[in-house]
Amino acid sequence: MTLDWSVVWQHREALVAATGTTILLTIATMAIAVPCGLMVAALRLYAWAPVRTLATAYVELFRNLPLILVVFWAFYVLPIWTGLGLSPLATGLAALALNVTAYNAETFRAGLNSIRRGQVEAAMALGMSRTQALRRVIVPQALRRVLPVLASTWVSLFKDTSLVSVIAVTELAYVAMQVRAQTFRVLEMLTAMAAIYWLLGYPQAKLVDWIQRKYRVTE
Amino acid sequence: MTTPQSTAPRAKGGNSKIIRYRGVIKRFGSFTALNGVDLDVHAGEVVCLIGPSGSGKSTLLRCTNGLETIDGGEIEFEGALLPKDERALRAMRARMGMVFQSFELFPHLTAQQNVAEGPRTVQKVSLAEANRRAVAMLAKVGLADKAANYPSALSGGQQQRVAIARALAMEPDVMLFDEPTSALDPETIGEVLNVMKALAEEGMTMVVVTHEMTFARRVGDWVAVFDTGRIIEQGPPTQIFDAPTTERTRDFLSHLGWSG
Repeated sequence: MTLDWSVVWQHREALVAATGTTILLTIATMAIAVPCGLMVAALRLYAWAPVRTLATAYVELFRNLPLILVVFWAFYVLPIWTGLGLSPLATGLAALALNVTAYNAETFRAGLNSIRRGQVEAAMALGMSRTQALRRVIVPQALRRVLPVLASTWVSLFKDTSLVSVIAVTELAYVAMQVRAQTFRVLEMLTAMAAIYWLLGYPQAKLVDWIQRKYRVTE
Repeated sequence: MTTPQSTAPRAKGGNSKIIRYRGVIKRFGSFTALNGVDLDVHAGEVVCLIGPSGSGKSTLLRCTNGLETIDGGEIEFEGALLPKDERALRAMRARMGMVFQSFELFPHLTAQQNVAEGPRTVQKVSLAEANRRAVAMLAKVGLADKAANYPSALSGGQQQRVAIARALAMEPDVMLFDEPTSALDPETIGEVLNVMKALAEEGMTMVVVTHEMTFARRVGDWVAVFDTGRIIEQGPPTQIFDAPTTERTRDFLSHLGWSG
């Protein structure tokens, strides 16, 4: 079997654009899932009981469904529910955000719970309301504590974006597979795809390690 | 049942009672933490609450600013009952400074930010004013040079002094100290007690839960001895330490090696 690596070079523009989409999907998903995850966690911990139940139900549903199923579900069901003709990119983004928000909510919940009671009391003894104590004292500390976990989620998410290729989002996995289908250069394209994911993923993983060292809890 | 109470006149404050506890009862489930506590705190006084662990001293302090709600009796602060309304209670809390055994500084803020946080968030003063107060209060507790340090870079004694500065920055009418030196290394206890002593000399009204008998004796104006949720004896320190009238006070003091 002869290998012809020129196929990768020939499709470099499509691959670069697709890599851009993968990065964009990751960033956009996190930009939604971090604030939403924090909100869901806060609802689960502090809201009126029925709202709390609703938030819990959401987390437990999406945390326990395979992501690829959520992607298909978003593709077929969301347009019917919303009446909107969403682009594959927007649909993929919605599916990823639903999934990662549920994960982040669990992360934030653990972080918020890990701040000891005395901190709230110290804030309240100064005359702060519960909301002020949460905003000024508890959330900033919880965010720092969960940053390493969020960073790990980020790295997983970067790779999991490949799952939205099943609904024809033109991200890296989809485009690489398209090229493979057109050229029959299976080994070359899979290797190229692996190389791109790895080259982008490895520095991120190293960054996570660094964040975990830097934000280790010191009191 | 009456508590042996000194007839000794109060040295300070005349008749101006800043805090008045009457028949205070607090229960945790089936456990009665406070079982009818009567005590007055006069303006400018240092009132020390002593007694064995679990006798209710800290609970009374935490009821004073409403961190715990009482199940019976009443607590008056500056002539008014502790409000039930959350907003009014917060306004009252802001006039009482509290210092905790475990400091409870905010670890994500520098010393100066810790001290400026209350004025900034609760009193809504300008950032410049909050910082001015923070610098002044840190200087007062002898930590002007540690303003930029995070709590994790400070010793226990330094952290507790920052915590005192944080409470003082609210310009409170009364300071509540909950075993402020119990979590400290012996060599840093003195620096915290000195700050508290200086505060007392300035005329700050203070309620201090403490196991530091020397402090209670030298700095206290009034001492209340707690046992199983009641005050078993109260009076000026000379009476409590030199001529305790109850057997249990004598027992407690002798267990601490206090020889008068």
